[in-house]
Amino acid sequence: MTELVNISGLSITARLSHGDLRLLEDVDLDIGRGEVVGVVGESGSGKTTLARSVVGLLEKNVRVDGGSISLAGEQIIAPGVDRTGRVRGTAVGMVFQDASRSLNPLMKVRAHLAEVLRRHVRGISRNDIERRSVEVLEQMRITDAKRVLDSYPHQLSGGLRQRVAIGLAVVTRPSLVIADECTTALDVTTQTKVVELFRSLVDELGIGLLFVTHDLMLASDLCDRIAVMNSGRVVEQGPAMEVLDRPRQDYTQRLLRAIPTWS
Amino acid sequence: MSRLELDSRTSKGEAPKAPKARKPRRARTSVFWLAMPLLVIAALVFVLPVTGLLPEEGQDLTRTRQPPAFLSGGTWEHPLGTDKRGQDVLTELVTSGRLTIMIGLVGALVAIGPGVLIGLLAGYFRGWVDKVISILIDAQLALPFILIALAIISNRGSSLPVLFLVLALTGWAACARVTRATTLAVRERQFILGLRAVGASEARIVFRHVLPNLAGTIVALGTLQVGTAILVESALSFLGLGVVPPKASWGSMLASGQDELSQAWWIAFFPGLAITVLVLLVNLLGDALLTHHDPRKRRR
Repeated sequence: MTELVNISGLSITARLSHGDLRLLEDVDLDIGRGEVVGVVGESGSGKTTLARSVVGLLEKNVRVDGGSISLAGEQIIAPGVDRTGRVRGTAVGMVFQDASRSLNPLMKVRAHLAEVLRRHVRGISRNDIERRSVEVLEQMRITDAKRVLDSYPHQLSGGLRQRVAIGLAVVTRPSLVIADECTTALDVTTQTKVVELFRSLVDELGIGLLFVTHDLMLASDLCDRIAVMNSGRVVEQGPAMEVLDRPRQDYTQRLLRAIPTWS
Repeated sequence: MSRLELDSRTSKGEAPKAPKARKPRRARTSVFWLAMPLLVIAALVFVLPVTGLLPEEGQDLTRTRQPPAFLSGGTWEHPLGTDKRGQDVLTELVTSGRLTIMIGLVGALVAIGPGVLIGLLAGYFRGWVDKVISILIDAQLALPFILIALAIISNRGSSLPVLFLVLALTGWAACARVTRATTLAVRERQFILGLRAVGASEARIVFRHVLPNLAGTIVALGTLQVGTAILVESALSFLGLGVVPPKASWGSMLASGQDELSQAWWIAFFPGLAITVLVLLVNLLGDALLTHHDPRKRRR
């Protein structure tokens, strides 16, 4: 598997009024093409910070102290370096937690897709936008694409909205997609569908997927490899089954024990 | 059954039930019905004086304070009576309506235009931009309106451009403060982050995405400001600082009729009624426009 993303020794600090707060500490993580890497951990463990640092969507008071992130061999993040502007929306797509809030409520789905396409495909014609929009929605397993294009976000169901959001992330054919807790706001059956959709997208398009979640079962379904985070550090990583079946670290074992069971 | 078939079935089940996202009837008709009376008022005010149907303009001291036609002593020659100089109230109402409508609309625009822009920049960019602007807003709001008005008018004299300058200088701060607060809320919404994630430019995010989401606030500010502009102008006219004779506005008519209230109430009543109806209609139109603008508020 060829390497797509290389995160090495990444350390990130937030400057707060009462002092500095380390958000990420010496994080190493690789994502290959056609690979799904899950990042799991409890709230506040640094999962979202890690995901957002890849696209440079960090708050103003946050700075990179050490390490780097490379995408397809090109360094995009390092101390004092931020070249994420040129990969955002083109080489990297991002899906957020709650699609009902990640779409502009005043714009139809068509306008959302058109905006991204116009921004990144120079001189694209109206027909091409329409064709690509329908194509990408069909790729998202949406059968009545035309009708969805004409809908406002609030007129769609949660699952459909999330698929539109995924469509927005992949419409420019990125090589990496980052999904930040994107199944959290969905019910269990819809979650399964979204996970299936991601799996097929990764297999069909050969993209790399960074799947951030706190749901270990979902991660075990979808991910090839899993990285467990705690307090800004990656405490354990490896093939999904290995990490979940034979956790080496205490923290991972505790996380696994925290999953509710029927008994 | 293959996975694809299963998927196509379920996604059909999830599809929106509403047929096509059309602009529903109610929003369109309410905008229409509220725009209509405003258009009628505008037509009356702009067209009627040209038709020659109105009683002649000018003073007639033999017929001062004549009551309206529907009261005893009134005649249809002066349907809404005459004022203390014997001028026909209806004629004056119609001719001064032009100026009033213009003061209301332009007065609102000069205040909310800069106010919204400044508030938008402060709320979106935060940091030192916000700090500087917030101090300016506080400073502006701490100054009494009448002091600013007096200072400017005594310096520059009383004219329409000066009136608009006063309206802009006294109105922008409140607009900016409200817009800033709303912008602060909108910029934290997830779709703004989503737009950054797809590489949208800051200018595009601000003007194409944040601004339309402020429409509710802006329309509310705008409609209030139309009323405020008309009332501020009438207050200034009352002090003799607003529209000066021979020009007249509904505000100046109201002001000049105030000391006649006990003997000839109609002089102040009809311009007052006209202002109330105009401001009310503008407010209702604002509400209807807002419903029309926000797809979530339209009837599904």
